[in-house]
Amino acid sequence: MFQNNREGLALALPAAVFTAILFLLPIGMLLSEAFQVDGHWSLRGYLDFASKPLNQTVFWRSLKLAGLVAMTSAVIGYACAFCIINLDGKNRGRIFGLIVLPLMISPVARTYAWIVILGRTGIVNDAIIGLGLSDTPIRILFTETAVFIGLLQLFLPLMIISLISSMENLPKDVIAASRVLGASWLQVFTKVILPLTKDGLVLGGTLVFTGSLTAYITPAILGGSKVLMLETLLYQRVNVANDFVSAGVIATILIVMSFGANILLKRIAAIRS
Amino acid sequence: MKRLLTLSTALGLVTGAAMAQDTLTISVYSFGMDAMTEAVFGPFEEICGCDVVIETGNSVERMAKIEANAANPVIDMAVMSAHDALALARKDLLQPLDVSQIPSHGDLYASAQDPIGGNFAVGYGFYATSIVYRSDLVEINSWADLLSDDLSGRVALPNITGTQGPLTLHMLDIALGNNDISFAATIGAVGAHADDIVTFYNRSSELAQLMLQEEVIAAPIGRFAWSRFSGADLPFAWAEPIEGQTGGMNVMVMTKDNGNEALAYQFMDYWLSTEVQTRVAEALLDSPANAKVVVSDEIAESLTYGAELINSLNMLDPAAIIDNREAWLENWNENVVN
Repeated sequence: MFQNNREGLALALPAAVFTAILFLLPIGMLLSEAFQVDGHWSLRGYLDFASKPLNQTVFWRSLKLAGLVAMTSAVIGYACAFCIINLDGKNRGRIFGLIVLPLMISPVARTYAWIVILGRTGIVNDAIIGLGLSDTPIRILFTETAVFIGLLQLFLPLMIISLISSMENLPKDVIAASRVLGASWLQVFTKVILPLTKDGLVLGGTLVFTGSLTAYITPAILGGSKVLMLETLLYQRVNVANDFVSAGVIATILIVMSFGANILLKRIAAIRS
Repeated sequence: MKRLLTLSTALGLVTGAAMAQDTLTISVYSFGMDAMTEAVFGPFEEICGCDVVIETGNSVERMAKIEANAANPVIDMAVMSAHDALALARKDLLQPLDVSQIPSHGDLYASAQDPIGGNFAVGYGFYATSIVYRSDLVEINSWADLLSDDLSGRVALPNITGTQGPLTLHMLDIALGNNDISFAATIGAVGAHADDIVTFYNRSSELAQLMLQEEVIAAPIGRFAWSRFSGADLPFAWAEPIEGQTGGMNVMVMTKDNGNEALAYQFMDYWLSTEVQTRVAEALLDSPANAKVVVSDEIAESLTYGAELINSLNMLDPAAIIDNREAWLENWNENVVN
């Protein structure tokens, strides 16, 4: 496109400088603070963080919920994506639009809606009492269940979109061919669909896992202070304790876990192939 | 992070240098900004013929900004809680106020005239804190009722990370007969009832929603949020526990060596004047610290108003908050939310 590389590099330079100064440099400064205690390089921040029971609880809870949301999204996502790609063009567009629609609504509004839905007088408790499953409303808000539901609703569309994109490239005859050759539906999924759509699963899994891990609004609103996650703990350390070392440690952990999840999913996908 | 704040304000410094000399930069709460501009900031600009540049954010962000720019202050004057002001004073980031430059100072309630000592701050607004509850479902006579079986599963407490959290622990501490500023036994008692507490809320708006949808029927809250409940269809009441009400004070401070002291004093005096404090009170933006302010009974109902109430507030010493809050948070994290 360009007569020489210099022209291309010159055009990319403003964006590169912008990114370096306003993104990479602050991130580097933030992360470096996590390795400094009293002006000296040290791992003490990490050791102190790891030694506290609350931090351990929050770390494992964050990992567990993000993992559960990603796995559940994958299960629901495959079912939805498979149904959608088998619809005719017009209906596929409509359903796809409905899936994308929540992404256009503010996460704050969506999460606040769950406060009403999951509350003592919300439709979930109305249904539970109406079906005779309980005499009194059960407490769902401010529990891990509420955070799980909120995160799943928030990130499921990303998984479905990734899987639809991947399944659209699936050769149309392979499923029919494998069935004709005697494969059960479980075998069709594990031996045919899953290997051929692994890129979509890796992409969707990474988006959902890292999104769930780093989400702040949903855990803060639906979990409150009783269900602290790494993001809400980070906010607490900065805004209450003015503890930027711990905040840097948590930020580093979140970044490492996000990259780690992507690498792990790619490795798993590579093993299968 | 402090380096980041310095970096982020560098641009502000450059543009600030180009501004006219008569510019006052203030750091204030973001609550009711449009109304505050109409009641205070806008009219002052007309009087002084200057520009008022407003910086907002939460307390920690605003304090960090003041600290990061200590060598070359960007903020001239700030408002914050009394204990945050004391924290800045201890870091030598504030200058003592020359109260002779603030004629309205003499009109303030005695407790607002020098709330943290050394004339490092002056109070501009009070707030009472008590328990709001559903009068048709429960009766509240004591702060200890918050942990009673009657309220199990229907009560919310403020998070310890907010202003109301330590105040609630303070009153629970008195009600439970502990009287220990470490709050160790009281935090233990809250921890023992953690499963009975619906949530530890962070914002009054959050609590208002939970109470309006009947998730919660009793919770401690600042009087500044009472109007969210008093106009509701449900029968909410403001408790007057036998241990009394607690509360706090917001103060004005002047950053050290900001070079804009004259304009800052003029602004502080204006905000503390009977005229402006009345206007702010009538707009329900703040409860007045000026003892000469007179408002109607209807307005007073939504405020922390009058010498009798203000003098009766069982406030927590700002120094005690600063000296103990890290330990409170550690204890809380271990025993309540872990």
